[in-house]
Amino acid sequence: MAHHADKQEPPSLEDFAERLDTAQRGTTDAEAAKRGQAMGQGFRLASELLAAMLVGPGLGWVVDRFAGTSPWGLLAGIFIGFAAGVMNVARAMQTPGEEFDGDNNKNGPASDGSE
Amino acid sequence: MKGMQAAGPMEQFEIVPLIPLTLGNLDISFTNSTLWMMISIAVAVVFFLSATRSRALIPGRLQSSAEVLYEFVADMVRGAIGPEGMKFFPYVFTLFIYILLANILGLFPSIPGVSHTFTTTSHIAVTLALALLSITIVIVYGFYKNGLGFLKLFVPSGVPAWLLPLIVLIEFVSFLSRPLSLAIRLFANMLAGHIILKVFAGFIISLLGAGIAVKWIAIFPFLGTVAITLLEILVAFLQAYVFAILTCIYLNDAVNVGHH
Repeated sequence: MAHHADKQEPPSLEDFAERLDTAQRGTTDAEAAKRGQAMGQGFRLASELLAAMLVGPGLGWVVDRFAGTSPWGLLAGIFIGFAAGVMNVARAMQTPGEEFDGDNNKNGPASDGSE
Repeated sequence: MKGMQAAGPMEQFEIVPLIPLTLGNLDISFTNSTLWMMISIAVAVVFFLSATRSRALIPGRLQSSAEVLYEFVADMVRGAIGPEGMKFFPYVFTLFIYILLANILGLFPSIPGVSHTFTTTSHIAVTLALALLSITIVIVYGFYKNGLGFLKLFVPSGVPAWLLPLIVLIEFVSFLSRPLSLAIRLFANMLAGHIILKVFAGFIISLLGAGIAVKWIAIFPFLGTVAITLLEILVAFLQAYVFAILTCIYLNDAVNVGHH
């Protein structure tokens, strides 16, 4: 089977422009806007996780330095930081107020801000 | 500054001292970063001064756009904190406008020999300072208003007693991670966006220099650069909004402890 795949012709250069065009067409305004929101949410969740995973071990390290409990504070900090990171992500996903990419929130001024 | 030589994608983030200054051992030079922060503030001040100058009952174009911005942030603050939160409106509004302008001004292309655009929010030192300011306000106001009751923030209701020490610890780390996540998000978005822009634009230059047969392909990275610029304008707005709304949500914790 692998032998058969080897015999396949390399993609021809003739329709290169067409294929490139198809690939490029993905980047229209609406598409870009959607991708921007998806990227925003991705960054949001990644930063939530990353921040907690930095703070946890950092705090553990500080405790170690002052209490002389090395390396247990750092070890505990790694796990607690991870737990906090997962909690941050779970919270960011579920709290309706924290959504910034929903339709009603995006149009900001239109939404009724009573509460 | 660089002439025709194509600069690397990271060069745009370099901090260049314009007026070297020192205070003791401290380097407090007036840098391009300082300059662009000041430009952001100046643009904001000039815009709002000229927009509110006429104070017409039927607003003109400039006044309308200023009013839309005001309404947008006011709704955001009221929605996230409630009417009591309006005392934080000046801070949130300033934060939003500053970040928005810094993000958008950074998108303007540099003009060789005239200006060298710099995105202040692409540096974590700047975003972390803003985030720490936000979280300091939350902590100070939280203790000022609720006293030690503010610590209830770390004790979620309905947790079995034997789990409580661990949960409080995790909540504490989670709270401390807030400013860091605010700062990382804004700076990473700006950094990544500008690198992508620069790399795509760099393709145009290399293709144009590659010879007559492949020169025409340069149109594709050009279109890509246009599309990414649109995307970046959106990201610039979105990130300013996210920073402001998350500040509101954290402030809400300080204003209404135990209501969440």
